[in-house]
Amino acid sequence: MVKYLSEEWAAQAKKKVLDELDQTKDLKNMNASLLNVVQNVPPDQKTMYFYIRFVDGKLEELLASPDESIKQKNAEFTITGDYTTFVQISSGQMSSAMALLKNRVKMTGNKIKAFTITKPIDTFNMCIKKIETEY
Amino acid sequence: MNLSDVLETTKKEPHCGMCKIDFLGTGVCPAGKKHGFVAYWPEGRMELARALAENEVEPTETLIDIVNSCNLCGICDRQCYFITQRRPTQAQQALKDYVKTLKPNTFKPIPEDEIVKDLRSIVGNDWATNDPIIIASYLRSIIKQKSSGNFYIVMPRSTEEIVAIVQLANKHKIPYLPRGNGTFFGVALQTLLAELCSIEQGIIIDLWRMKDIHVDPGSFTATIGPGITSFELQKAAHAHKLRANVAEAESCVCANAQNLGIVTTWSNTYGWGTDNFIDAEFIDSTGTIMHLSDKDIPNPYASAQGLLSLSLIPSVIVTQLTLKLHQILDDEEAIFIPFTNLSDALDMAHNLAKRNIGISLAVLSRKYLTEFISPTHEIAEDFNYIAEKYLKLNYIVDVICDKYHKKIIEELAEVTFGHSMIKSLILGSSKLASMKESSLLKMIAEEEDPLKAVFGGPMRKHFEKGLAASPHELVKVFDEDLRDFFEKLYSKPELTDPVWLHSFRILPCRMERKHMWMYRGGYMPGDKETILKVVDALEKPAEKYHIEGAFGFLSYLERGKLAHLEYDYYYDHADPDARKRLNKAIVESWRRQFAIKGVTPLEFICSKGLHRKEHILYPFPEGLSEEDLVHFEELIETLFGGEDAW
Repeated sequence: MVKYLSEEWAAQAKKKVLDELDQTKDLKNMNASLLNVVQNVPPDQKTMYFYIRFVDGKLEELLASPDESIKQKNAEFTITGDYTTFVQISSGQMSSAMALLKNRVKMTGNKIKAFTITKPIDTFNMCIKKIETEY
Repeated sequence: MNLSDVLETTKKEPHCGMCKIDFLGTGVCPAGKKHGFVAYWPEGRMELARALAENEVEPTETLIDIVNSCNLCGICDRQCYFITQRRPTQAQQALKDYVKTLKPNTFKPIPEDEIVKDLRSIVGNDWATNDPIIIASYLRSIIKQKSSGNFYIVMPRSTEEIVAIVQLANKHKIPYLPRGNGTFFGVALQTLLAELCSIEQGIIIDLWRMKDIHVDPGSFTATIGPGITSFELQKAAHAHKLRANVAEAESCVCANAQNLGIVTTWSNTYGWGTDNFIDAEFIDSTGTIMHLSDKDIPNPYASAQGLLSLSLIPSVIVTQLTLKLHQILDDEEAIFIPFTNLSDALDMAHNLAKRNIGISLAVLSRKYLTEFISPTHEIAEDFNYIAEKYLKLNYIVDVICDKYHKKIIEELAEVTFGHSMIKSLILGSSKLASMKESSLLKMIAEEEDPLKAVFGGPMRKHFEKGLAASPHELVKVFDEDLRDFFEKLYSKPELTDPVWLHSFRILPCRMERKHMWMYRGGYMPGDKETILKVVDALEKPAEKYHIEGAFGFLSYLERGKLAHLEYDYYYDHADPDARKRLNKAIVESWRRQFAIKGVTPLEFICSKGLHRKEHILYPFPEGLSEEDLVHFEELIETLFGGEDAW
């Protein structure tokens, strides 16, 4: 069991995605970078950042950190929402697209491109939900 | 009477919310008016009877109060029978009988939790609850059936109370969702869109108590609270000889403005969306009060075109809206131009739209005409059959205009009819239905142009006379105990006045009499070729999945540059197989519509606020490419799962 958004969790998540997902079939050779801004993380309601970057479907980076310097990576998409919503997404209770359409998260970035990567991002979330996680 | 005896009726309850408005002059349910929560209204009692029969909720002490608050006065029977032919008192009687069978210790007390205590401190003890019995009455009209989350219902009276509620929800990190009259939810929650427009737990903010209304005839405006329905606003406007451009009688105006932008048969002249709204007060997700007229607000409705703009939940809560009102002319009257083919009807209507002829202008289908004006669904079906088989009457260009435009229309159209014929059809619809195999109709069908023969030729007098139209004749098809009431009702001039009926829109809910419906269609360029393509794109999925589909109405906008089409799928929402087929048809209809240049399906303009239209519809979107359509499939799968999940 690893703590959600901890360094251990990030390491396990990255390994799981690299081990289990096919770059073409599952991740559609996507090229995209996303910064998730997770607000109100318990116990002290801090903000955490969860960054992922794919190149040709390969997960090149997966970082989770409270350090806002991660913003300097200039992700193509920034998704901002409450901790409870990200827990729902990362545990597979709600897709990120559904969270977006239900106004549970805000997204900046090219919506047309976002539309093309909803499926591989969902596949990514379905993969990391299998990590035994303490939320 | 057992709950199971009324289950067939309660399962098909459409949640139209008409019982909350006094559209027949009977007054409304006294218990509903006193307590507010949906559970105390006929609509909610029906849902409660269903939920108890299907063991989705257990009795609590509040059930006794709900049941005892009804004295079976019968107002709801008159209202509901007029619209849907249902008798809610039967469900209420079943609830009373059910409660009598329960032992006193069956009724659980429901303890307050911290959240409900806080909610009560905001709105008062009577207006917030966590009682499962009250919550169950909101099932299928904002809460998904079989939801297991913790819910609260709160009924605020002021903007400040809503601010406090939003802040409370944020403090506890639980979602919230406002509810007007629940009419949109009632339709969408039966489909695969349910997940998108409901909440899985949290606070439902029922806005019914916020009924402030102020008409300023000097500036031709009305300022209203979010609990005001279209009927109530129209009534207040008419008192000053003004008219509001509003949707169906039962819909809450603020919610409708925010959700769909209020597009009506009057929209070619009165406009839609941003054309009709002057200012709004709203609350954002942090609980901050803003106004559209504030200089420094961020655009709360900024939205891109495209598939990821499918958002059925408003990002803000509108708590007050100021709308334009329009002057009613002394010489307004209705004129109807009948057509056999849609193509011809579109040509005529577009010609009128481009010239701005007609205050209200639409192409109406045979289905709408017959269903709206017939007192029962059975009569509507017979009328529909007669119109198609004998009269060749499939579409009507439906116009409300002044006397000058009437002259122009009569010059342009080969055949027209007006108030007198519509009155005869309304009051004579039961007689007409009985003439299904009559020699008169067979004779008419043999004419070269039956439409001309009936509505423009010498047979018109015989036809009208044959209908023997009178309130006394009409009400013979009603339940015996309701006949006196309905005879008096149908003797009122407004019930057969097409101008009044177009303004107050009390009839459209009749389309829910037999089955639930799901609107399809959307916005498109006003050219005929595109419109016919869209109609085909909506017809094909209905045929493929064996769903009854029918053209509803088409309004032109902006002098015919744009068109708004409503096409409906009818299905039995109590039948899981029918729901599955409906959902497949919805997805396929999106796919087909998105492939047509310039078309935006209705769902994709939802919840984008008040000041919108140009930034959503212009430039006309390109049709999706093959590659885009693949991504579309993926998005649908991500959102709603695979076909098996539908």
